[in-house]
Amino acid sequence: MAKKMKYGIGVRTQYPADADMSVAFAEQMEQARVADALGYDILMKSSHLAGYPLQEFQQLPYLGRVMAEAPNMRLLTGVTLLSLHKPLDMAEQLASIDVMSGGRLTFGCGLGYREVEFKGFGTTQKDRVPRFEENLEAIKRLWTEDEVSMVGSHFELDKTRLSLKPLQKPMPPIWIGANADAAIVRAAKMADAWFINPHQRMDTIEKQIDVYKRALDEAGKPFPDEVPAAREVFVANSRDEAIRLAKPYLEAKYKIYHQWGQDKAMPEGDNDLDLAYEELLEDRFILGSPDEVAEQVIAHGNRLGVNVLILGFHWVGMPQSLVLENLTRFKEDVMPKVEQGL
Amino acid sequence: MTDIQFGLMTRGQFDADDDIRVRFTELMEQARTADKLGFASLTKGSHYSGYPLQDFQQIPYLSRVMAEAPNLRLNAGIVLLSLHKPQDTAEQFATMDVMSNGRIIFGAALGYREVEFKAFGTTQKERVQRFEENLVAIKRLWTEEKVSMVGSHFELMDASCPTKPLQDPHPPIWIGANADPAIRRAAKLGDCWYMNPHVRIDTIERQLDIYKSALEEYGKPFPTELPIRREVFVARTTEEAFRIAEPYLSIKYKVYHEWGQDKAMPDGDNDLGQAFAELQRDRFLIGSPDDVAEQVASLHKRTGANHIIASMQWPGMPQNQTLDSMHLLAEEVFPRVRQAI
Repeated sequence: MAKKMKYGIGVRTQYPADADMSVAFAEQMEQARVADALGYDILMKSSHLAGYPLQEFQQLPYLGRVMAEAPNMRLLTGVTLLSLHKPLDMAEQLASIDVMSGGRLTFGCGLGYREVEFKGFGTTQKDRVPRFEENLEAIKRLWTEDEVSMVGSHFELDKTRLSLKPLQKPMPPIWIGANADAAIVRAAKMADAWFINPHQRMDTIEKQIDVYKRALDEAGKPFPDEVPAAREVFVANSRDEAIRLAKPYLEAKYKIYHQWGQDKAMPEGDNDLDLAYEELLEDRFILGSPDEVAEQVIAHGNRLGVNVLILGFHWVGMPQSLVLENLTRFKEDVMPKVEQGL
Repeated sequence: MTDIQFGLMTRGQFDADDDIRVRFTELMEQARTADKLGFASLTKGSHYSGYPLQDFQQIPYLSRVMAEAPNLRLNAGIVLLSLHKPQDTAEQFATMDVMSNGRIIFGAALGYREVEFKAFGTTQKERVQRFEENLVAIKRLWTEEKVSMVGSHFELMDASCPTKPLQDPHPPIWIGANADPAIRRAAKLGDCWYMNPHVRIDTIERQLDIYKSALEEYGKPFPTELPIRREVFVARTTEEAFRIAEPYLSIKYKVYHEWGQDKAMPDGDNDLGQAFAELQRDRFLIGSPDDVAEQVASLHKRTGANHIIASMQWPGMPQNQTLDSMHLLAEEVFPRVRQAI
C-alpha cells in the first residue's frame, strides 16, 4: 500500500430517546479528548434531522464546540445533507469553523434520502441532485471569489460577498459521500475525494472503485491522495467475542437505518440492511481480535486503496466504558500491527 | 431590590484586511474576561454577506465560545429567522442549549437586507409570514414529541426534534424589533421585546407604550427580564471616552446607514447618517464611569430595562481599548448602577 493509513473517529452522537443528553454530551467530549490524546487524526460528525426515535447533537454546533476539546484533530462534516441547505449559509458557517479551528475543516457532503428531512426544508427527493450540484458550485465560488452572482433553483446570489473566507487555501478539502454509482461519478467530478460509505460490503466497493476510477479518467483528474472510507469497528479478544459484544448496539443501529430507508440509496445486490446480524456484518464491518482487525484494515488498503479510515466505535446504547476501551484497543493493539503489515 | 444585569455583545466584525485568526484569539480573551468580570451574558449577532466587514457565523461561534465562558448565558441576538427552516433552527439551538447546560437565549428578528433574502430564496415581502410560522414551528418542535404542520416554505410531517432544549419548556425567546408592528409581534410571540441599539431612548420610551398596550391586549404580564442593546464605551474621563470611541462608532453607523438599517426604524428617528454629535445623543452610553453609571440608571428608570447588552468594540478598535473599557464598566460602573437603582 502506497500511503500510511490515517485514522479518524466517526461520532453520530446518537442516544436512545430517554437518555440524559447532558450526560451524553460530557461523554462525547471525553471521547474527543481521548481520541485526540491517542493520536487519531480526524473527528467526523454526521448529520440527521428529525432523527426520532434517536436523540443526537446537530453537526455544526457540535463541531463548533468539540474543536475546543480536540485541538489536534481535523474536523469532518460526515456528511452534510447538502441538498437541504442554502449555499450562503453553509459557506459562511463552514468558513467560520475552518477559521476558528485553525484550518482543520474537511467538508463532507452527500445527498440525503429521508422524506421527513426534504419536507422539513421545503424540498423534495426529486430536486436533490440539482440542488446538491448547484449548492456545491455556489459554495466553492463563495469560498474562492470576491463577489459572486449566480441564480440557482432555490437561491439567488446577487453580488454576494462572503463575510469570511476559509483559512485553508483555496478551500477546505471536499469529500462527497456516495452510495449509488451515479453519485460516485459526481464525487469524481466535483470533489477532492469519494468518501466511501460504511454501509456497503467490500466486494460492492471494489466494483465501485472501478466506476470511480473511470469517472476520474473521464474528468481528467488524478487518483486522489486521500481515499477515505467510513467503517464500523470493534476490537475484542476474538472475532466471536467482538461479534457478541457489538451485537446489541450495532444490530439496533442498522435496524434504524433500514427503517429510515438508507438501503434504498444503495446499489442493487447490496441494498438490504434488514439482513440477520450475522449476515449483515459479513465483509461490511471490521470486527475481531487485534490481528483480525489489523488484517481487515490492511485489506481495505490493499483491495480498495483506502488510506483514511473513519471508524465508528460507538452505536446507540453502548456504554461509555466500552466505547473508550474499543477506541484505546484499536490504537494500542491494532494500529502498530497495521503499520508492521504494510 | 431590583437587579440589573450586563451582557457583552460580540459583533465579531472586523475590517476586510484584518488577520481574522488574531481577532478570533482576542474575542476568546474578551469572553474569558467578561466571564471573570461578572458579566451575565454574551451576545453574538448574525449577518450574511457582510462585506466590507469580516464576521464569524453565529451558531459555530456561540458553540465555540461557550467553552471559554462557562458562566455566561449565550444570546443569539438575533437570528434572522425569516431566512431559515424551523427544523434546522430548532434542532441546532436545542443542541446548543444542551451543550451549554441550559444557557441559550433565542433572539429572533426579521432582517432587512436584500442580499440575505435573495440568497435564502425568499423576499422581503414574505418575511413577516415566515417569521411567524417559523417561530410557531420551532416552539412546537421544542415542546411536542411529533409535529405535523404545513408552512408556506416547509412541511413538518410527523417531524421530531428528539433532543429537546435543556431549559424547560424552552430557552427564553427575545424578539428584536424596530418598527411599531414588530413590537406588537414581540408582545404576541416572544417572552420579551429585545430593545434595539439603534433608536434613541426617547423613541424607546414611546414604543414601550405600544409594547405595554399590546401585552395587555394579549393578556400577557410585563416580562420580568427586559433587555436592551446599546453601544457602550467607558474611559477615565468623558472626553477620553468620546475621543477613543467616536472614530470607530461613526464608521460602524455609516455601514448601517449604507445597509439601510434606518429604513427599518420608526419615523422621527430613522436617520443613522447624521453627524456623530447628534447621532450619539440619548442613543449611546459613552463617558466616564460616573457618567455612564448615571446614563444606565436613567435608562433603567425611563424604560425598565434590566439587562443591558453592551456592544463595546467596533471595527478597527484595538483589543486593549476594548478590554480597558470592559474592566471599567464591570469594576466601576456595575457597582455604581446597582447602588443608584
